[in-house]
Amino acid sequence: MKSLYKIVAVVGLSIVATSCFNKNKPNYQFFPNMYEAVPYETYSEHEVFKGGKEGLLPVEGTIKRGFVPYEIPNTPEGYTLAKETLKSPLDSLALDTEKGKALFNIYCAICHGEKGDGKGTLVKREKFLGVPNYKDREITEGSIYHVITYGLNAMGSHANQLSQEERWQVADYVLKLKSEL
Amino acid sequence: MSSHYEAPIRKPLVVGNKSYHDVTVDVAKPVEGRANKQWWIVFSIAFAAFLYGLGCMIYTVSTGIGTWGLNKTIGWAWDITNFVWWVGIGHAGTLISAVLLLFRQKWRMAINRSAEAMTIFSVMQAGLFPIIHMGRPWLGYWVLPIPNQFGSLWVNFNSPLLWDVFAISTYLSVSLVFWWTGLLPDFAMLRDRAVTPFTKRVYSTLSFGWSGRAKDWQRFEEVSLVLAGLATPLVLSVHTIVSFDFATSVIPGWHTTILPPYFVAGAIFSGFAMVQTLLIIMRKVSQLEDYITLQHIELMNLIIMITGSIVGTAYITELFIAWYSGVEYEQYAFLNRATGPYWWAYLCMMSFNVVSPQVMWFKKIRTSIAASFVISIIVNIGMWFERFVIIVSSLHRDYLPSSWTMFQPTFVDAGIYIGTIGFFFVLFLLYSRSFPVIAQAEVKTILKSSGDNYKRERELNDHNHSDNH
Repeated sequence: MKSLYKIVAVVGLSIVATSCFNKNKPNYQFFPNMYEAVPYETYSEHEVFKGGKEGLLPVEGTIKRGFVPYEIPNTPEGYTLAKETLKSPLDSLALDTEKGKALFNIYCAICHGEKGDGKGTLVKREKFLGVPNYKDREITEGSIYHVITYGLNAMGSHANQLSQEERWQVADYVLKLKSEL
Repeated sequence: MSSHYEAPIRKPLVVGNKSYHDVTVDVAKPVEGRANKQWWIVFSIAFAAFLYGLGCMIYTVSTGIGTWGLNKTIGWAWDITNFVWWVGIGHAGTLISAVLLLFRQKWRMAINRSAEAMTIFSVMQAGLFPIIHMGRPWLGYWVLPIPNQFGSLWVNFNSPLLWDVFAISTYLSVSLVFWWTGLLPDFAMLRDRAVTPFTKRVYSTLSFGWSGRAKDWQRFEEVSLVLAGLATPLVLSVHTIVSFDFATSVIPGWHTTILPPYFVAGAIFSGFAMVQTLLIIMRKVSQLEDYITLQHIELMNLIIMITGSIVGTAYITELFIAWYSGVEYEQYAFLNRATGPYWWAYLCMMSFNVVSPQVMWFKKIRTSIAASFVISIIVNIGMWFERFVIIVSSLHRDYLPSSWTMFQPTFVDAGIYIGTIGFFFVLFLLYSRSFPVIAQAEVKTILKSSGDNYKRERELNDHNHSDNH
């Protein structure tokens, strides 16, 4: 009987000790000495910044090291210019079909389909329609690059997801898919 | 009587024609009486010092170690000095109760209780420093190897600071058990003499239902002997481990193999000095001069003299080895101690620890209570300086001259030290009014062999029947 009381007491104490934890809130902390960052962390919010967010925009016209700005403008003329004159800076050694495929399947295949036939999952489920088949369009690596960078009609810019080098890899892979259709 | 042989050369350990009952009454008197005005005055002073020290500790922990005088070169100074000093003081208690028990020294019986109390109270003071000198004392529990949610992150068992944790906590717990076991018959005596229901209840609880049967006594003796056997290596290892904090380092002046025995000798030296200080006052205040006799004081003085000489030998050995080693850093460390900016601390250490115990060679001095009292205090000051010199003078000038600096304690350093002294005396004063300060059960076992009345009687009998032996 005595040991029963003890067990009940221990169980009761454990319940009392753990019952204060609310799943909808962060848990209690014991001396959070270096839990909160002293420096400004990426994506954090602080009043000192304009707009309250850490991610401030760079000054327009500045160029960071290792980056070449894309000079062709986002206009119908620019599209034509890119289609006719823009060539991939990647040579045969730098081109990596596997990487292009992987990137395509992540960023493009959801609409364009893994084969590039315009039958992606979203189209099949009729979330939206009107995605063309690559076979039906006249596209060059320059135009593909231009469209990935700026987007066209219903398609948005993918420049914030794919780096310049990755866009060229994808453009190369799109041409490969087109040739197979 | 005639069957008992005791060398007539031995002086009585209990004087004043005591009977068993007299022993009981004398031991119980301070506990059963009321505290006088002086006690309250002294207690108030000690308590005020304790509160001040507590304030300093809270200030340190809440504000930061930067309130102390430490700097980047000298990361240990008063904190560890005081830690080692208090641990050292604590060692005499165990030595008196354990080592002297193993050597069957009957004179320990009048002093072991207080010596053990002193051990426990001073180890408690020592135990404060490893915690409050931490930068983040609230994470102090991380020194314990407890299974945890950091992928069971463990402690590194290679650090003497971790060994300190084990050493000090084991030392305190074993000393406490040893002390308490010895207290059982004495608490039972107080229980049986209690007149108010409150004291009756208190001492009934404290004495764990001791009834003094033959079987209990037999086991009591066995336990005491086993614990004494365990406490003896413990007392040697604890201060050895404390000395490893320094001896295992690479600092010139610290990295010495002599440190373990030298620290232990120093611990016994300073511990006995503290016992001497306390007991000289206690025998007077609690009127226990018949039990803590001049002979006890003289014997303690002899131990102080012996251990003081061991410490002196160690000092000279260190100096010799520094010269003999041919290591410039080592040589400079000792040159710096003697002639550097802390020469005065080294001088205090040398004169207080090496010279002062040597006066005990004179019987006139070692049998003088006043001289013993003064020397015992000098020894404790000297031993504080020993730790200070070892720690600070080795740190403030070592390998890189660009890191040479000085140490300046702040009022917080001093306040915490004063606070621990206050806390020690708070505990000791409370103890002396509520605990039987002499192990009366043990004293009663030597009364008939070492009481002056029985000795006289035996002498008379021997003269009558001189052919008996």
